[in-house]
Amino acid sequence: MSNIIESEGLTKVFPGGLVAVNEVSFAVQRGEIFGFLGPNGAGKSTTIAMLTTLIRPTKGTARVAGIDILKQPYQVRLMLGYVSQDLAVEDALTGFENLKLQAGFYHIPKIEAMRRIAEVLEMVDLTDRAKDKVETYSGGMRKRLDIACGLIHRPQLLFLDEPTLGLDIQTRREIWKYINHLRKEIKMTIFVTTHYMDEADSLCDRIAIIDKGIIKILDIPAALKSSLGKEIVEFRFANGSEEERKLAISQLCRLDFITNVNFTEEKGYMASVTNGESSVPAIFEALRDFSAKIGSISFKQPSLDDVFLHCTGHEMREEKADRETAFKSRMIMRRTRR
Amino acid sequence: MKSAFFFTDIYWVFWREIKKFTQQRARILMLVIQPLVWLVLMGNSMSGLTRNPMAAKMLGTGNYLTFMTPGIMIMTALFGGVFGGTSIMWDRRLGFLNKMLAAPIHRAAIPLGKLLSIGLQTIMQALIIACISLLLGVRFITGIPGVIFLLLIAGLFGMIMASISLALAANLKSIESLMAISNFLTMPLMLTSNAMFPISAMPSWLKVIANVNPLSYAVSAMRTIATNGWYFNQIWLPVVMLITIALITISVSIKMFYRSIS
Repeated sequence: MSNIIESEGLTKVFPGGLVAVNEVSFAVQRGEIFGFLGPNGAGKSTTIAMLTTLIRPTKGTARVAGIDILKQPYQVRLMLGYVSQDLAVEDALTGFENLKLQAGFYHIPKIEAMRRIAEVLEMVDLTDRAKDKVETYSGGMRKRLDIACGLIHRPQLLFLDEPTLGLDIQTRREIWKYINHLRKEIKMTIFVTTHYMDEADSLCDRIAIIDKGIIKILDIPAALKSSLGKEIVEFRFANGSEEERKLAISQLCRLDFITNVNFTEEKGYMASVTNGESSVPAIFEALRDFSAKIGSISFKQPSLDDVFLHCTGHEMREEKADRETAFKSRMIMRRTRR
Repeated sequence: MKSAFFFTDIYWVFWREIKKFTQQRARILMLVIQPLVWLVLMGNSMSGLTRNPMAAKMLGTGNYLTFMTPGIMIMTALFGGVFGGTSIMWDRRLGFLNKMLAAPIHRAAIPLGKLLSIGLQTIMQALIIACISLLLGVRFITGIPGVIFLLLIAGLFGMIMASISLALAANLKSIESLMAISNFLTMPLMLTSNAMFPISAMPSWLKVIANVNPLSYAVSAMRTIATNGWYFNQIWLPVVMLITIALITISVSIKMFYRSIS
């Protein structure tokens, strides 16, 4: 069987009517790094919570390694590792003790537990610091320890919820290195959520873009980007009324090297083009007789940001959160930033 | 297969709590100092009371400290237990609760492990109080078995308070509101019991309350053992009541916990 996760119409409606995840169906193949990309509040963590049996779906179900999450949640838990975005390591204990506790939770016999602890400590390069209390660790070290906790029972599938949230760019790269290592050396399937585009791009074999609880698109990163055409031209008008601008845009849409034109407040107009940098003079040429003149223009290769914008019609943006959620994210920031 | 590991699951939750507890040096130090202050200050200022033969008769002993020691033990159990729910709220806030729930551990092991750790902490505190009171000249008439009885009752009472706190925690959103409710509970419970003053010295309306206050059950059973001897006809009822209350509150707290995670 090549699919390790098969989700069928997974839906979560929270009390109060908020539809966090809406009829989400997808499959994750064994051995791949599968990315869930979306802004905060898009339903990433809720999907993970359902797949890891932390919350019950309102509708639909999923199979993890062939086991139904509704019918046999206990067996599912044995199968998967879960590293939340909360950085849930125990400050008062040492790294070793944290792992010992985790091994206890997974019923690993004592002698075997000692072997595995040494093994995962080695894997995340924390052997030297194992006897130190976690409160003396840096943010990146905590995250590594947390990942090690998720590996102690050798899961077939590892869930990493926002593994680099709050970390600085250097530490993020370092965490990516460990994640890539896991996939290569242990052939582990990794399900990762993130709201960093670059992270999804460089880490994942396949990406699902999720927004407001719905999967908008699912493909390999390269295909996602090329689906927008090869390149993008961003421009703004210097003058012209609403009408005149509309007229100019409709003219551009008629050109054969332009596949579509989008508009956002942040970025202005974005045209997907197929003829490379020569599209810039071509656009000027096409608009020569129009009263709306272009004020600024730039040419760029498409990024996942653009794909996201294209699929959802808006930029990645933080959604509103309640008080406790806000508090929680501040706590995470505080713990990672040291 | 799930229940095969039920007790090891409880053990590991318990292990974590105890391990965390032993790391807090300041807290452990306060556990020794606090009862010391209570016993020395209160004991001294009230010792004049026992010179009055009428008061001594009401207290049932010629030494106010002897009267007070079980009360201090229960007070410590009350304060220790009533904030027991905060630990689960911190776990929720810091994400450790989800970490435990994603693991194949029995759900009930989480509240039970926490309750047992509070029971043990209370017993340790009561032991410290017993040692200090011995140094201050208190004599327990039933000796070491009697002291063990006192410790067990204190531990049981700590678990009752902790399970009430856990049940509240399951229904509340913020730690701050749990702290407020817990604070609100402690003083009235304390002052309407026989922990500090004999029931016979109370006005009649307070007597009614003191007689149904679970704190009074615990204290009167402990006081009988500490000052009078093994009078089983006097202690069986409060002990049975306490065990019943414990069974009820613990089951309710587990039920509430289940509800809060589903």
